[in-house]
Amino acid sequence: MKSLIKVIRALSPNCKESIRLQSDALDRPLRLFQRIGLRVHLALCIWCSRYGKQIKFLRSTAQHCEHDHGPEQKLPSEASERIKRALKDAND
Amino acid sequence: MKQTEDGDALSQEGATPQPVLSDPERWVDLHGDYLFKFALARLRDRAKAEDAVQETFLAALKFGKTFQGRSAEQSWLVGILKNKIHDHYRKANRETSFTDLEFYSDEENNRFVAGGWIHKLGPQEWPNHGESSDNEVFWKTYRGCLSKLPKNVATVFNLREVDGLESKEICALLDISENNLWVMLHRARMALRRCLETNWFQKS
Repeated sequence: MKSLIKVIRALSPNCKESIRLQSDALDRPLRLFQRIGLRVHLALCIWCSRYGKQIKFLRSTAQHCEHDHGPEQKLPSEASERIKRALKDAND
Repeated sequence: MKQTEDGDALSQEGATPQPVLSDPERWVDLHGDYLFKFALARLRDRAKAEDAVQETFLAALKFGKTFQGRSAEQSWLVGILKNKIHDHYRKANRETSFTDLEFYSDEENNRFVAGGWIHKLGPQEWPNHGESSDNEVFWKTYRGCLSKLPKNVATVFNLREVDGLESKEICALLDISENNLWVMLHRARMALRRCLETNWFQKS
């Protein structure tokens, strides 16, 4: 049993490597051996599994924030007037 | 009208009715706030955001002929604005290195022993995280966390996660290597995750 754990450890990434791989997986396809190693690690590690779910949640949060929950920002009226003048000058 | 003739020449289906752009004098009132908010979220500088909006309208006036009505007027303007913002990134990139070295060195080392999480410092369960999106305080917390990232790192994160650019496109835009990009994205996610956990999930 002990030697089996040793073999698994040797083949799969540690936590630090695993969180980097989970981040990379959101931006590029992983290599086959990386995918297998990561899957083995995640089956055994609740912390890294949570990490992966949480960075996926961050992705959807970033998109929602931009589209529905950004702070209200208005173009200041001076800027608005200035731009209107610039447009008018360019159009004439 | 000249614009119509050019539009016909560009259009692949000659029979399509010509799209009509609204009067440029009304653009600022119709789209100014939306474009300003879009630019400010990315440039994080009010004066630069105002400039970008102005450049966008001027370019739109000049290239109005390329508008083909495949997209709504506002999406067409946002497309031009994105290019203006990307120009700004390119320019900023020539002036300073894009990689933030100090942030770059943060590996959350204090949370690991021999490459494994110290259990009580590892990622915690986030209770009811699906419900967070209904809560305005959550969004405020998230925006606060995002604003703590170094500007360049936040830019890279937004280009990838909000604008959905592919790795290669971001690398070409900012003239950085893919590995460099992936490290920055990893650091951004790590920092945001930790910040949300500390300031939201462990408090609520």
